[in-house]
Amino acid sequence: MPHQLGLTIRATVTAEQVPGLGKWLAETARNGVADGPFDFIRMRGLHFAKLCLLEETVDLDGEPIPPSLVLMTEVDAPLRRHLAELVDVAGDGIDQAFGYCAGYPGAGACRRARIGWLRRHLVSASAVYVNTVGRGLEQIRQEAKLREALQDYLDQRDWSGLAPAEVRRDLQAHVAGRADLAWAMKAPAPPSLLFRAREAVHKVAVPLALLALLPALTAILPVWAVLLRMAERRERPLTQRPTLQHIEELAKYEDFVTQNPFAVVGFIKPGRLRRVTIRAVMFAIDYAVRHLYNHADLAGIKTIHFARWVPLDGWRRMTFASNYDGAVEAYNDDFIDKVWWGLNAAFGNAVGYPPTRWLLWGGATHEQPFKYILRTRQVPVPVWYTAYPALSAENIENNAQIRAGLRGDMSPGKVRHWLSLL
Amino acid sequence: MAVQLDLDDIQGLLARGYSSLRHARFTIFAAREPAQGRALLAWLLPQVTTAGPFRADTALQLAFTPAGLRRLGLPDRVMAGFSAEFAEGMANRSRFLGDLEESDPRSWAWGGPEGPPVDGLTMLYASEPDVLRRRQAELMQRFADAGIRDVTELDDLELADQEPFGFRDGISQPLIEGLPKAARGQRTVPAGEFVLGYRNNRGQLADRPLLPASADPRRLLLPDPTGSGQADLGRNGSYLVLRQLEQDVDGFWRFLGQVTRAPDGADDHGRQIALAAKMVGRWPSGAPLVKAPDRDVPALGGDNDFGYHGDPLGLACPLGAHIRRVNPRDSLDPQPAASLDATGRHRLLRRGRRYGMAGDGRYGTGLYFICLVADLARQFEFVQHTWLDNPTFSGLYDDADPLAGSRRPSGRTFTAPARPVRHRYLDLPQFVRTRAGAYFFLPGVSAMRYLAQLQDTGPAPSAGR
Repeated sequence: MPHQLGLTIRATVTAEQVPGLGKWLAETARNGVADGPFDFIRMRGLHFAKLCLLEETVDLDGEPIPPSLVLMTEVDAPLRRHLAELVDVAGDGIDQAFGYCAGYPGAGACRRARIGWLRRHLVSASAVYVNTVGRGLEQIRQEAKLREALQDYLDQRDWSGLAPAEVRRDLQAHVAGRADLAWAMKAPAPPSLLFRAREAVHKVAVPLALLALLPALTAILPVWAVLLRMAERRERPLTQRPTLQHIEELAKYEDFVTQNPFAVVGFIKPGRLRRVTIRAVMFAIDYAVRHLYNHADLAGIKTIHFARWVPLDGWRRMTFASNYDGAVEAYNDDFIDKVWWGLNAAFGNAVGYPPTRWLLWGGATHEQPFKYILRTRQVPVPVWYTAYPALSAENIENNAQIRAGLRGDMSPGKVRHWLSLL
Repeated sequence: MAVQLDLDDIQGLLARGYSSLRHARFTIFAAREPAQGRALLAWLLPQVTTAGPFRADTALQLAFTPAGLRRLGLPDRVMAGFSAEFAEGMANRSRFLGDLEESDPRSWAWGGPEGPPVDGLTMLYASEPDVLRRRQAELMQRFADAGIRDVTELDDLELADQEPFGFRDGISQPLIEGLPKAARGQRTVPAGEFVLGYRNNRGQLADRPLLPASADPRRLLLPDPTGSGQADLGRNGSYLVLRQLEQDVDGFWRFLGQVTRAPDGADDHGRQIALAAKMVGRWPSGAPLVKAPDRDVPALGGDNDFGYHGDPLGLACPLGAHIRRVNPRDSLDPQPAASLDATGRHRLLRRGRRYGMAGDGRYGTGLYFICLVADLARQFEFVQHTWLDNPTFSGLYDDADPLAGSRRPSGRTFTAPARPVRHRYLDLPQFVRTRAGAYFFLPGVSAMRYLAQLQDTGPAPSAGR
């Protein structure tokens, strides 16, 4: 099974093209993107895709930042195949969307020129969270089918009075005997050896490097902490409520299926201290999501399918984007309850965030200002695609466990538990 | 430190459900002119029942929609202090709230885009039918005298221990810290979860409309408790959610009859009740399934002292059962204490009454669902969307609330965990439909005093929404 990538492609939109692009996005949103010009449903390994317009703005020094179009996809490796399919499968949609951007070669240009252009407009993420690393789209779809087949089979007769082990044996035999399900008796293949080797090296190398740097870090950390606390005390909090108009624009694209798209963009606070801090925090988040939170759980939150942190405009801005289950209110509550410290560490460096103490404390625990600033900084996602609109992240994990339980020996207690997954 | 609630400024509904006043009538009204609304308010004000000591045989409560508050003369900058969901209104939140198809606001009796305008709501309660009739007649006369013609009476309300499907209702209520009845050592909920201007579960104050002191020269409003020097229009107020929920009682029992029928085609009444209890999470008497998994135990009828931690798989009380969804208690998190903290942030103070037992049958029978909250998004809307209507609640796939959940676009399954394997019921019909509804603000007494003396500041908003 492949590992997963979070791809970001960003291109400048010429000012006079912005109204046209806005109209096109709204229209495309109405028509949906599973089929049509993007045909996302036919792209291999594509879990999610979103397109959004970042409006023109000025940075904290008053420098203008032109409007831009951002395409984000969550997709199974390899990257090369995905970039090619963006042109070969989704080409009509890509041509239309990026046709509003400066320098796009256009529908007439050859395939290689367009793929090359997309590649040149890739923006690298600081960190990408994958709910379960290595669980590809094919596997998610297959295991969902497996569960449905087993559920239908269970509905066909009365099982009461049978011992759990007998029921399991019956289900195993049923799956093994069906040509369309027999694959389920084997474990899914792990990601490529190369990927696993790279991750294993990273997992060990980072702590080793930090250990080597320990003397230096022990000297620097207290100074950094004091400077940061002084900066925090100087900052004046500013509570900004989102306008009703902005809320309605966001809500227009939310709460249709099990998952929702999420994207916030904010400015990083000025000064070298914050620039260093945000980079260090992103380094830590990258390590954490690759090696600690790589299976069905982001520090206690089990509703996120994918998330990414992407620095923009030379680290002047930062975007956080995700695909999550349920409504934004529940998502924010989960954040506040479970990973306030992680949010503070990252977003605490952003302008407008509720005041933090020693970076980790305060911040998100100011519920109302926190919810306001997130909603204010949220960017509408008019064009959004999900490959499995009815499945929560918990469902997907449950399906994988159902499949896993078809194999091997099990104690009676384990069998009872496994049957409860159905 | 004990919280001091300003009981004489808080409307009584926050402190009590008026169980001794069994008869009630609600009236939805809209004034065409600001002066009409203010005249009515000035007349009603002395009659509004507060949360202080109560012994009377009638009670009156008063609440307003954003349109009503605007018409009384609140300017936009003050209105902006109310929550976004209140400003948007219930009918505009229909997709989020699951009010689709047959529950579409366009078909609502009131509160929807096609219905009569709604400025406010009076809630009249009385111990005797003739007292209720007399006071309501007086009220209607006042509406007429004030020239208020957009009036819809919601009559045929009844206080009953059982909701129309036949189950005991209203057992679990949050105990508000600072109220006399909370002083019994049980788990209480901070007043700020229901009353604006007090600390909530996070020790914070919910946002509420604040005015510069200059906007209140007569000092009618209470000061902002944070000491900002502003006048607090929200203090001692609460958001009131009112929904008319029609219950298809025949359809409910017909479905249960179909899926529990014996192989020979005979009705199995016992199995019908047992499956209904699985859907509710309590037996008709109110006995909770986690304590009485196999049969009704009427002695446990009022039992509210239980959790789900001992039943993680839902073998006694299904994960998707109604009461386990609307208040998951200790079952949301691996840590029961953390779960109780989390669910504590999503409590509703319910004040509903059933209707239609003796009416003209136009809207059948059902429930006037009423709840009071300080945060519409985190409390009422969260419970409705994330717990009640969510097909993937608690790891489920296609199970919205078996009683009240919306069946569109998914959520038509009910799963009852069992050994060796679950029982699954497919294609549940829609048993509950929303027939009307609106978000109201239930102001404190000083806030109403302030509203009654407002002057016209500009052109009045047009009648309607």
